[in-house]
Formats: sequence, C-alpha cells, structure tokens
Amino acid sequence: MCLGIPGKIHSIRDDAGLTMGVVDFGGVRRDVCLQYVADEVAVGDYVIVHVGFAITKVDEAEAHRTFEVLKEMSQLEELDWMAEVAEASLSLARTPDPGAVQGTGKPL
Amino acid sequence: MTARPAVNAAQLSCPAPVEATDHVQLGHGSGGKLSAQLVAQHFLSQFGNPALAQLGDASVVSVGGAELAISTDSFVVHPLEFPGGNIGSLAVHGTLNDVAMMGARPACLTAGFVLEEGLSLSVLDRVIGEMTRAARAAGVPIVAGDTKVVDRGKADGLYINTTGVGLLDAEFRPSPDRARDGDAILVSGPVARHGMAIMAAREGLAFESAITSDTACLMPLVDALRPLGADVHVLRDPTRGGVASTLNEIAVASSVGVEIDEGALPVPGDVRAACEMLGLDPLYVANEGVMVVFVSGERAAEALRALRSHPLGAEAVRIGHVVAAHPRLVALRTALGGTRVVDLLPGDQLPRIC
Amino acid sequence: MRYLSEYRDADIARSLIARIKARATQRWTLMEVCGGQTHTIVRQGLDELLESAVEMIHGPGCPVCVTPLEQIDKALAIAARPEVIFTSFGDMLRVPGSDCDLQQVRARGGAVRVVYSPLDALALAQQHPDQEVVFFAVGFETTAPANAMAVWRARDLGVKNFSVLVSHVTVPPAITAILEAPDNRVQGFLAAGHVCAVMGWEEYEPLAAKYRVPIIVTGFEPVDILEGIGMAVEQLETGRHEVMNQYVRSVRRQGTPPARALVEQVFELADRQWRGIGEIPMSGLRLRDEFAAYDAERKFGVSDLRVTEPAACRAGDVLTGRIKPPQCAAFGTRCTPERPLGAPMVSTEGACSAYYNLAKYRASDAAEAVS
Repeated sequence: MCLGIPGKIHSIRDDAGLTMGVVDFGGVRRDVCLQYVADEVAVGDYVIVHVGFAITKVDEAEAHRTFEVLKEMSQLEELDWMAEVAEASLSLARTPDPGAVQGTGKPL
Repeated sequence: MTARPAVNAAQLSCPAPVEATDHVQLGHGSGGKLSAQLVAQHFLSQFGNPALAQLGDASVVSVGGAELAISTDSFVVHPLEFPGGNIGSLAVHGTLNDVAMMGARPACLTAGFVLEEGLSLSVLDRVIGEMTRAARAAGVPIVAGDTKVVDRGKADGLYINTTGVGLLDAEFRPSPDRARDGDAILVSGPVARHGMAIMAAREGLAFESAITSDTACLMPLVDALRPLGADVHVLRDPTRGGVASTLNEIAVASSVGVEIDEGALPVPGDVRAACEMLGLDPLYVANEGVMVVFVSGERAAEALRALRSHPLGAEAVRIGHVVAAHPRLVALRTALGGTRVVDLLPGDQLPRIC
Repeated sequence: MRYLSEYRDADIARSLIARIKARATQRWTLMEVCGGQTHTIVRQGLDELLESAVEMIHGPGCPVCVTPLEQIDKALAIAARPEVIFTSFGDMLRVPGSDCDLQQVRARGGAVRVVYSPLDALALAQQHPDQEVVFFAVGFETTAPANAMAVWRARDLGVKNFSVLVSHVTVPPAITAILEAPDNRVQGFLAAGHVCAVMGWEEYEPLAAKYRVPIIVTGFEPVDILEGIGMAVEQLETGRHEVMNQYVRSVRRQGTPPARALVEQVFELADRQWRGIGEIPMSGLRLRDEFAAYDAERKFGVSDLRVTEPAACRAGDVLTGRIKPPQCAAFGTRCTPERPLGAPMVSTEGACSAYYNLAKYRASDAAEAVS
C-alpha cells in the first residue's frame, strides 16, 4: 500500500503502447511503468514508484521550499513557525491547482 | 538506557505461524525462529552430544590430545552464479570462516557434490575454479571429496557440502558464550551486500545494480586479531539472517544484553537503495565476507586498528556494546534517540508492499 | 537517496518533537491509517518520544492484515490447483488462512511465487501459456492503479491465462466507520500519503467538516510524520478541523487523474469484509463485469467461499482504540504473533504484535531488576 520510493527517470520508451522507463534509485535501477505520469515527465525527473509503477511525479520545487523551512526551523526557537507553516499549507490545500500558487515566501 | 524501548519492529509484515507443521518449509532454512525450532526439536533431540550442543560456528572436539574445530555446511544458493562469485566461492569461504570463527587455523577441507543431470559442465568448471582459487589463496587443501548425480529436476543444478577441520589455538578461543558486560561490538565491513546481490540476480524481482557479493575468506582478519588473545570474546560471521540474527544468537548464548546504534551500521548506498525498494531491513540481510567481533571494551580501539590494517577490514567500525540489562535481548538505538527491540525473525525476510 | 534520506534528519526530527511537546496544552489522540506510517512510528519509537503530547492509535492501515479471511482461503484454494502459478506480493505469503498459509501450500507442492509488480505476473503468464497465472491483487488505493493496468494490459494483449484475485480496500470508509463508533476517541487523522498521491484529498474534506477532525495528508519518513502530527496538533490547539497537506512533494489535491480514471474503468466499489473488524459497506473494489474473464474468483469458482472469524479476536476494538491489546482475554495466550487470531497480531505493524513484543522486553527487564 505505502511502500513507494522516489527515483530518477533514466530513460523512457514505448513498449507496444505502454510508456515504460528505467528509473534509478540511488544506484539501483528498475523497469517502471510510467503510463500514469507520461504526460508530465521527462528524463531526469523524479517519480514515486510503487510496485513497479510511477504513481506521481515529485514536485522538486515544493520539496526544496518546504525542506528549507524545516531546516531553518530546526535551528530556531520560535514557536510561531508551526502556525505559519500550517497557514502556508492551508492556502495550498484550498487552491484547486496548488501548482499555480506562488511560493508564500519564507515565513520566518 | 534511559527511555523505554519501543516495540519489536521486525521488518516482516507477517510472522509465520511457528506451530507444528508436518512438512519442511522454506522458513526452516532461514536462520530465524523456525530454523532454531527445527534444530532443537528434531536434530539436537536425537543427535544430542556436548560438542554439538555448543551450537558454535564450529564444534570443538578432542582427538588423541589434539583439540580440533570442525564445521560442516551445505550450499544450495540459487542462482549458482551471481555478481561477485558463485556457489563454489561460498562453499569454500563459508566453511573456512566457520572454523576460523573459533580462533582455529583451518588445516583441510572436504567437498561433496550433488549434481543435477543436465548441469552444464562449463558452469561446473567455473564453480570448481572458484573453489580452487579460494582454497589456494587460503593455503588450505581440499583433501577428500565425493560426487553424486541425481535426476533432472532435483538439486537445483548443484548442491555442495564442505567440511573444514582446524587446530584450535591455545590462547585465542572466541566462543558465542563468552560475551561480557562492557564488551565493544565491532563489524569488519559494510553489510547486506551478499543478500542483495542474490536478490538482484533472482527473477521476479529483476532490478539492475552494481551490487556484488562480499564473499571472502576471513582468516586474515582473524589472524590480525590473534595478538589480542583472550580479550577477543566472540567472533561470528553473520550469514543467513544477517547481523540481527547473529547478535541475537550471541546474546542468548552468553546471556547478556546487546545494544547497537542504528546509525553506526555501515550499509553501502546502493545496497540501502535496493533494501528501500523491496522494503527489507539491512540488519537481516545475509553477508558472506563480514565478521562480528565482541572484544573487551578497553581493547576496542586496538581491535579496530588491527582490522583496518587489512584491506578486508578497512571499513571496520564499532556498532554497539554489551550490557547487563535486558539479557538475551538485542536493543537498537535510533538516530532520534528512540529504542526498539531487534528480534529473530520467524523465517525469511520477504519483500513487502506496505 | 534524494527526496528520502533528508526526511530522516535527526536534528530536524528532534526539533519537531520538541515543538510538538511545547505546543500541546493537553494530550491529543491521533490515528494514522497506513501500515507504512505505523512502521515508521514503531521503528523510530515516535509514540514513545511524543508520549506526553500525543497518543497515537495505529489504525487498520495494513492492507495485508485486513485482507479478509475468506479471500486468503480463496487464495489458498486456487494456489493448490496443479495448473496454477499463484503470484503474490511477499508479505502475503505468511498470512494465516483458516487452515494454513501460502508458504505451506508451497511446501506441499503448490507453485507459489513472489513478484514485485503485477506486470511481472502478467509477463509470467505470457512466458507460461500452458499454465494459469493468478495474481493476488491486494492493497489500498495506492496499488489499485497497478492492478488495473495489469488487467487492462492483459486484455489489450489478448493474454487469456492471466487473472487476478482482488482484495482491495479503500481508506475513507474505514475512517468513517471509526468516526461513527459511539465511543470513538480519535481526534485527528494522518491520511496515507501514497493513497492520496493517487486519489488526491477531495474525499477527505467532507469527513473533516462533518466530524470536525483535522486530517493531514502525511508522508512516511520520520520528519514527514512528525511534521504531520505537528500540523494536526496545531489545528487541535486552535479549534480547527481542515484537510491539510504535509506531503507536498508528492501529493496534489486532484491526485494523479490518469490513474484514478483507469481504476474507475476497471474496478467498481463493493462491500468488503475487513479482517477482525467486519463488513464496511462500499469499502472495497471488485472487477467490473466486463473484466470477468480476468477475475480469478469467477474463473476458479471460489466466489461463494464463506468463513467465520475466530470469536475470541477483539481486533475491531483494538483498531478503533476502544481497548489496548493487553485488555483482550486472548492476548498473549491464545493469540500470539506466531499463532495470531486476528489482523493486529498478524502484522508486526499491528498494535497487538507491537504490544506483545514490548511486553516481552519489559518482562525481561523486570526479571533482571529482581535478580
């Protein structure tokens, strides 16, 4: 159900009508079905792979943005950060297309 | 240990019912609880004698005044050939290592073969070639052997049994029951390579990687530790069942508690990636060229230097220590400061989806 | 590993723990419904580390252990047939049926094989045209797209000797059932990150509103889970009950639409038994009639198999947090990890199994203290 890990697309091909690819997981490679994300991925993109299928594309920009916040937070003592992160996520949650939302900027 | 440990988190989702079954299952060969049960209830109960009951990597027997270590092992690995070696490499290294883990110097080997009708002779030659190379490198002759052929469909191509005999050292007598409170626990190199190399070579899981088996003869590493004499309490090579199973066996044999640091276990990047992909815990994955060392705390630094002086032990590292608390249990401290119990698995570790 | 390892950063995790503890003015009760999240929580001892601020109840999030007994028995019946190669994810092999498990069927001569992906099973069918290949299609919504594609592809390629034994369950009805229970104590949920990667989170919004509980779409690494718990606590402290997304790198509100679309085409909702809990209406998936040729139940005539769960098992009460495992009369006596009666003892992510092993540790410590 849950075991999905991120991997980098190494190559893409068509296999009799099915979009397949080779995905690299930190040095280990496997054949993965890319059919569900075919319209949005290219070689070099990261995808989450579960039982041999890419179930979603990793949003690298979002990952970097939120991780920076976390990293900074771990070095600070402010307690308000939690509320600000929550606000930021809430605004994303309410938007029909989160991809269109501009970064809310660093809350701290 | 300050915090109460959290729960046993054996990686496996579903433990085998360890109850009376009327047939042998694959889990009986895994090195976990089912294996222990098979040995105790069927073999020991009938064979029972003091030497066998030690359940060491090799047994100690006295023959006409000489003290010998003797060990036997059968090799049924599939596929026969894998990155880093073949069944022959395992057959020689495995038994040499078992004898060496008692501190003994292996003197000779025997090799018995069960060949499946139809086995390619060039495969057989490659296997024999590996065995010859490994035995010569160790300076240990194969002095007796046997060959049988069985019908097509049996023996998975080839099964090998090897037996090793060695002379015990007067001073240097590591043994699974000698671990003591305060001992440092070392591992001689990166773990989980062999098991994942085999996984990669199996069909059905088909993934490509550069992972190779770590199969190796550990005699030089044992020799490097010999000067530390009686301060080296336990040596063990964590084969099937991995480091976790070996630590459990020692904790039970010595009736001590073991604590290890999750972050200290050396796992190569691509091995870790393969484990992540299949949901496997490196702690339970087989090794064929790594040694676990229990040495008295004061001599840990010296032991590490000795191991690191040899290429095989270049990445030797301390992973934990022995405690008087929670005897017979292995506890692991996570990077977050939590703790959990690391138990024997009932059977084989299997790839999981959740 | 990128986008994985950094979410195990110990400094960030410790900092999140400290902040949660500082922020909580009372002890809140949360539930995660995802085996992978339970796994991380248990492995890292997160519920121990957060003890004063949060009680984590481990929900029925392991699709393997909630697979109903009757589906296991159907699997065993099919796997025992000589013309069948039965394929499955590894973790299904040891789930006990009424009489034995798949590993024992293999020991007795059945062809049972572990595969990583349903496409591997389909490939096997193409390689063995004289055998019937059956795949045990277990899982939550995360796995449904993969299983749907295997069936779709089989039909496309005209592969006739392939079928699937379906045992899919869906999360929102389970959350509803838990919230509907009169003595429910759960105040907030962590929603399964990869289920939502596929499905999005739209279906959780009505639940959050109706039952007034925060639902946080959360990932699987320690930092993810702690951040998710933190977001839930923040909402509870400020009296809010909304759906929020912690797992922003992998989840969008609409999920992965092509995956949802194919699941919709191949499967339909059905009532489903959850092992140890009972029937939850419209909580499962089954193959639509047009794919009957790929339905192993119909192909092998096992649709009518019925079983009864052992009466002693109180899994339902444990999974909804009504009782703690040691309060069940069968706990540790008739029901152990080696001989489980119900779901939460079957899986080492299950609450009963977790408690069982912790108790073993404590007993050992107590014995030491005495000696």
